[in-house]
Formats: sequence, C-alpha cells, structure tokens
Amino acid sequence: MPAAKSRSLLQLRLQRFRRIKRGYYSFLVLIGAYAFSFLLPLVMGNRALLVRYDGAWYFPMLRSYAYDTFGLGSSHIIPAGELGQTEIDGQAVPLGAEVDYRALQRQFAADQSGDWVVMPFFPWSPYEKIEQTGTPPAPPMPGHWMGTDTAGRDVFIRLAYGYRVSITFALVVVLVAYSIGTLVGAFLGYFGRWLDMIGLRLVEIWSAVPFLYTVMILAALFKPNFAILVGILSLFGWMTITYYVRGEFYREKAKDYVQAAIAVGEPHAAIMVKHILPNALTPIIAFAPFAIVGTIGALVSLDFLGFGLPAPTPSWGELLRQAKDSGFTKWHLVVFPLGMLFVTLQLIVFIGEAVREAFDPKVYSRLR
Amino acid sequence: MSERPLNVQPAAETPAVTPPLLEVRDLEVHFPIPGGGFLRQSPHRLRAVDGVSLTLTEGETLGLVGESGCGKSTLARAILNLVPLTSGEIRFAGRSIGGLAEREMRQYRQQMQMIFQDPFASLNPRMTVGNIIGEPMQIFGLHPPRDRKLEVMRLMELVGLNPRFLNRYPHEFSGGQRQRIGIARALAVHPKVILCDEPVSALDVSIQAQVINLLTELQDKLGLAYLFIAHDLAVVRHIADRVGVMYLGRLVEVAPAADLYANPRHPYTRALLSSVPTPDPQRERRRERMVPSGEVPSPDRIYPGCRFADRCVMAAMDCLHSSPPLAGDDHQVACFFGWDEPRYQAALRQPR
Repeated sequence: MPAAKSRSLLQLRLQRFRRIKRGYYSFLVLIGAYAFSFLLPLVMGNRALLVRYDGAWYFPMLRSYAYDTFGLGSSHIIPAGELGQTEIDGQAVPLGAEVDYRALQRQFAADQSGDWVVMPFFPWSPYEKIEQTGTPPAPPMPGHWMGTDTAGRDVFIRLAYGYRVSITFALVVVLVAYSIGTLVGAFLGYFGRWLDMIGLRLVEIWSAVPFLYTVMILAALFKPNFAILVGILSLFGWMTITYYVRGEFYREKAKDYVQAAIAVGEPHAAIMVKHILPNALTPIIAFAPFAIVGTIGALVSLDFLGFGLPAPTPSWGELLRQAKDSGFTKWHLVVFPLGMLFVTLQLIVFIGEAVREAFDPKVYSRLR
Repeated sequence: MSERPLNVQPAAETPAVTPPLLEVRDLEVHFPIPGGGFLRQSPHRLRAVDGVSLTLTEGETLGLVGESGCGKSTLARAILNLVPLTSGEIRFAGRSIGGLAEREMRQYRQQMQMIFQDPFASLNPRMTVGNIIGEPMQIFGLHPPRDRKLEVMRLMELVGLNPRFLNRYPHEFSGGQRQRIGIARALAVHPKVILCDEPVSALDVSIQAQVINLLTELQDKLGLAYLFIAHDLAVVRHIADRVGVMYLGRLVEVAPAADLYANPRHPYTRALLSSVPTPDPQRERRRERMVPSGEVPSPDRIYPGCRFADRCVMAAMDCLHSSPPLAGDDHQVACFFGWDEPRYQAALRQPR
C-alpha cells in the first residue's frame, strides 16, 4: 500500500484556503505590501541611499551623519519648520539635524566634482513640508501624485507609511485582545460552574462600558501614543472572542478525547493548551480578519476625531480630518485616503471570507 | 497517644483472602438539575447512579447492561473519577481511592483505563496516532523517550493496526480502526482494568465482531479485567463472565452470564431478554415478548420503593414502599419475589 501523504486538519484547511483564489491572492497582496512597507525608506524618504564623497562611500540608510560631514554649511539641513522633532523608525530625530541630501545632490551636480548622491525614487519623508509645491494643501502634480496635505506633506507618501502604521496597529491590537479573550474564555469554558457564571457576568458588565467616551476621557488624561492606544483598544476589544472561545472550550471539554486525557491524569494546563486549544482555534482564526478590519476602522475614526496617534504619525484618519476641516473643498484629501482605506479593508474582508469558508468544519464532516 | 505502626499487615491467622481487584460500594452519583431559581438549586437531583455495589476480579469480564440513561456510563466515569461521587466508596486492590494524594492517584489511574463509545469523539483530531497512543506513556514516564515510538508501534501491531500509519491523523481512519487506536491508547500504560463504555455500539456489526475478538484476545494475552458496558445483550453474552443488569441507577440483577441468560430472575431482566430479536424469522414470530407497560420514569424523582414497581406485572403493595436489596450468593437479584413463575404467569393473564 503506497503511503499517501498524511495531512493534518490544519494542512487540509490551508490547502483549501489556497484554492479560494480571491481570498488567497488578497492575502498575498496584503502581506506582500506589508512586508514591502518595511522597506519603504528605500523608495520614499529624504535620506540618500548612497553618497559618494571625496572617494569614500556613505550609507545614510544605515546611520546618520552630522550635517557638516559633506563639507556643507548649515544651510544644507532640513529646516526644522513647525514639526520640531519626529520619530523615524522608532528613533527620536530632530528634523533640523538631518543632512538635506536633496540639496547635497544639487550641490554635487553644480560642483562637477565627481561626487554623487543616490536618492530614493520619492525623495521626501512623510514628515517634511515640501516647499516648492506652493501653498498647502496643494493639488496633485507631477512628482506629488496625490498632492500635499494642509501641512504641505506629500499625501501619497503619508498614505504609504500610514499603511504600515495601520496594519501594525491592527495586528498588535488583535493579537493582544485575542490573547486576553482566549485566556479568559478558556478558563470560563474549561472550569465552568460558578467561575463561568460570575466571569460571564463580569464580561457582560465590561462590555457595557461605552467605548468612545472612555477613550475620550483617557485621551484627555494621557497623551495617547501607540502603546496606550493599543492598550485601550485591546481592553475594549477582547470580549467578543471570549464568548466564542468559552463556547468552544465548554463543548470540547465534554468530548471523550478530553475525558481520556483527564483519565490519564494530564494536568489541566496541558489539557487546555495541548488538547482543547488546537480544536478551539477555528472561531479565533475565522474572526481575526474581521477584527483587524474593525480595528483599522477604529484607528481611522480615532485619528479623525483627534484622539488617535500623536501628531506627526502618518495617519489615514488625520488626512480625512484635514479634508473635513477644509470643508471638503480639497478633493484629493478625500478621495485618496478613502480609496486606500477602502481597498485595504476590502482585501482583508476577502481574506476573511476565504478563511471562514476554508475553516468551515462542515466541509470536512464527510472525511470523519 | 500510643505509637501505632503504620501499614499494619493483617494478622497471620486471618485467612489470606485476596481482595477483588476493583470493588465499588454503594456508589451514588447525583447531578443537580438546572432550575429552581436564582442562586437556588432545584430540590430535585438527577440520580444517575443510586447505590451500586459491584466487584471485579483479576482477568474477569463483568458485563453491564441496561437501557439508555440507566447510569451505566456514569458509573464507569465515576470509577475513573471523571465525575464527582455523591457518596460511596471505590476500592482498588483493597485500597480506597477516596482522598488519595495526587501521587497515589496517578498509580490508580495507570491501573485503570477506559475505551470510549464514540471513536470519532474520543481521539483528538489534531494529534497523530503516534502522539495519541504515546501521550499516556509520556505522562507516566513509562519508557525512555527514544523507545516510545517503538513501543507505540508495538501496540499498534498488537491491536491490528499497521505501524506505518504512525503519523496519520484520526480522520484518515475508519470507525473500527479508530476504535483500535482507542484500545491501543488504553493499553499504553499497562492497566489491569479497562472500562469499556459501549466500545462497539457505534460500529458496523461485522466490525463489532472484530473488535470484540480483539478485546478477548488481549484479555487472554495481558490478563486484563473488563467492565464491559453495552446495551446489546448478545454482545455481552459473548464476552462477559458475569453480567449485571441496571435499571434507573441501580443494579437489579447480577449473575454468571450463562445463568442470567438461561433463567433470569428479575422481571426487568426477563423483559430485557425477551426484547432481543432472533435472527430466524420463524422463531422470531413465535417468540414470547414481555414488554413492560409505560416508560422508564425520569431519574430525577425519589422513589421509596422498587424502581421497577410501576411497570412490573408482579408488583405488590410492598414493592411501592420499600426497595428490595440485591440479595443472593452467585446469582444476586433485587426483587422480593426472586423468580416466581406461577405468580408471573398469573400476572400475565390478569387484565391490567
């Protein structure tokens, strides 16, 4: 008898997911774009990729150089402007201290000295005001395809960086919220009885706390940053999955394979993690894409209302707020952020649908 | 305080009677019934098992039969400590397992394993066969880790599975094969007693025979004792040395298998036996059937008298007031009348 390749349920389901083309390609596009977004400074940014100066090589991507490194005066620094300092890849960098590589490029070209600078394709950072575009917000133009926002920053570049911020934020929130929800649900469903009775009531009470008011109050108390916002959204987002996980644990515990594990004296923790959890993952996996959609939506709304991520962070909701503040007269501030939001959420919904279909247990009931 | 040595051995003059391997005394398992109001439990209890005593000696098979809901499975689960006891005692090799420390409990658990009814629910769908069978060994640290795989394969061979299927998942097997996996898992810790909770009810008849034969073979090879639960009397007749009949949480009759089938003494046993169909259509048509009137009462009410009284043709006033104890030496029966053939025949002729 030829030994056919043996597949676990998860493998079968992933195989099925790959066969649902729309969802699978959406997944590839979304994940591809997300992976690419970590390389964004190579394409969009005001740091040079490579500088050839005085016979030496410089890599401004890897480390910053003092503004006088290339023998230029203090005029060749990026003007501090109204932004003061910002965060680039997790580091607080005063904007004024960065060499203006675009100016350096022009200077080298004028000097005819044989030195040169390679800039990213879009040589502007998402944080800087672009002077030559005129009074912000400027409409789309060559080189700035989506125009600039009310602070004169390139909308396209901010949207692109905003994608990384939004997806990272949503992934972290869903991970934290689902971890809390799974843990609580697992305990309630597994131990049941009075713990379940009291625990569920507490969860219900917690669900009744009005989310938006609480966020506004907390945002007024602390200046929200990424971690605080993740905390707040997770704290109000874990309840839904708790109910499902509790139900799964409740049902699976009564099954004989769990009883068999109890009969050999396996510790509770091992039963919960090794036996029940893998069989209770279906709702977690099936709901996660939709939770990510919801979290991105929540982040956009909070940014729109001004309770979101702190100011210079590239954010879709903030662009929409600018559109509203300008009385919706600047069409490019409405169409592009909304389009980006729509495409992203639609892709995730496609993924969610495919996952739900692939993980539908009824599909495989005939295999049992 | 007088110093008393622990673990006093029985004095030499007492006859060395080996205690039965498993002894259950007056076991009761009651479940609370939902309802009754907020923070207040219903005054009624579901009396799933209500005073059952039985013994199981080494290498013996005790069959346990009864209708659905009579408490057979709950009894098995209570013996394994999977449901809490309401009262009663379970003794293994003479030692009570109530209040055992966790370390001693482990030893007990190793001696006692269970085969489940539904081969689809009793195996973790996410684990390979090798892991399912190997896990109990790992928990009890039975073999050196690198020998475990070999031991699992040996067990698979023993229960008639191809050891090459080690890395397969349960959904790739048929019902009969899955039941073999369940048997191998139970055998993995070298138990002395296996509780078989309707191990063949979910299988096709042809597969049933294979699994029954496997269980018999394993008993001969390994000297196992079975508590074999079934609702199929023919299956039990084939495998059991002794048979107990349960009705509404109580044992109504316990007897050696041949004896029980030849002359049942409890009216319920008689009714149960008369309900077994005969494969021969001519004999089937002539077969005397005694169907008790009414339905099995709900086990959530308290009965002072005999549980079977309201459906029994022979019931007298006494039967409604006090409960007959299980009495007798070899052939125990819980009926005030023992078996009274003339009374039975007369009762059958009475219009009811």
